[in-house]
Amino acid sequence: MSYYDIDAILTDAQKVPCTFELTVPGLGFLDGNMGGDMKKDSKVELPIWLGEMLSLSEMMNTDSLVTLGIPSALGPRVSNALKADPKTVDLRALASHFYNLATRLLEMYVEDINKAEEQEMIRVLTETFKARAAVIADQANNVRGTLGEGADFLRGLDENERQLFRAAHDSAKSVRAWVAEGMKKK
Amino acid sequence: MALPLPAGLTPPEIAFLCEMELVTVIPRQRLEGLDLLGGRTPPLIPPQRANLPLWLALLLKRQRRANILPPPWLHPSALLTILELEHAGQSAPPRLPPAPPGSLPISPPFLPSSTAAAPRDALPYHWLELGEILLEAASDDFEDPDGVRRLMRDLREVRMASMRKGVGMFDAQGGFNMTGFGGMEVGEGRAFIGGVIDGLRKIGAARERSGDGDQDDQDNGFPSTADDYDDDEMDM
Repeated sequence: MSYYDIDAILTDAQKVPCTFELTVPGLGFLDGNMGGDMKKDSKVELPIWLGEMLSLSEMMNTDSLVTLGIPSALGPRVSNALKADPKTVDLRALASHFYNLATRLLEMYVEDINKAEEQEMIRVLTETFKARAAVIADQANNVRGTLGEGADFLRGLDENERQLFRAAHDSAKSVRAWVAEGMKKK
Repeated sequence: MALPLPAGLTPPEIAFLCEMELVTVIPRQRLEGLDLLGGRTPPLIPPQRANLPLWLALLLKRQRRANILPPPWLHPSALLTILELEHAGQSAPPRLPPAPPGSLPISPPFLPSSTAAAPRDALPYHWLELGEILLEAASDDFEDPDGVRRLMRDLREVRMASMRKGVGMFDAQGGFNMTGFGGMEVGEGRAFIGGVIDGLRKIGAARERSGDGDQDDQDNGFPSTADDYDDDEMDM
């Protein structure tokens, strides 16, 4: 991910649940408690960039300030729904950068995911991505699908998938344009 | 990316490359052989057929100095056979004409795959571009241009559908087999297929980091090292 990649920045702005391990004086504003203290064990939704920094602790040889949890977009309910039928889940409503969020979290150390769960999550994500990509390709080549029954599906695409749709649609369009241009010349 | 152009070739560029293909013309006027970069063209003597590069043939056709003989695979009956083949064998790859035995050149611009002597049951690499260009510039040389046009469209739909169907099977061999797809089809599918592979790679990258690289290579099919990822991510 590049420094200037707007999608990377937006991914980092998505929130993850964090649990504070210590009482921090004066940090209550994160929880809407102006001027107060952040109590130990309180749960706050923080953006990834902040949560990641706070959860890093090895460097200071102390307990970490917060532990990260799994955002609801990647929770068991969603993963079960994706296993059942990847095509009907509205990923955009869950997280606008769903896949990026998932890979970002898998990069980080998250307390309540173990190895097996991690593998399972990646498997589900891969299967979901493939199943949806096939539908995206169909929709991108089929103008009527975009307006009719396909509209709901397309609205539920996450940002990665939107770019995929755009790529497929644009290349089909440019070929059509080339064919039409040849006909016009005649 | 600073360049506004997408990766790969645009359709007009692919069509430009296609103009190097040899086609058969029936000249209406005499013309001595021309010394071109690609070699000397055969002298044109009216009733005799000659093989010329497509661009030259189009030029002569436009000036009404020659008629273009459509390649045998552009005949409606041949197209119909190919279309049936595509329909029947769902996964049967679209086929390229076989290289003539003992010949040195084996790739399209040098293979006479679009001349009158081309095999009639196989589509060459530039079938879509060549067909469209000929239908546009020399439709009066076809027996049934509308029928050919319709069959070309059907064929294109079927082949694009089979390409899209391949997306679901990405994992098996860890890549996407595009053998037999024509230039324009590759160009059209490039952005999408590249995007899917890239997305799968990113999801798989997290798996690599989680430590069980060996086992994952088998079911994801993208064996790669952490170094590769670093390199890739630099230019994204």
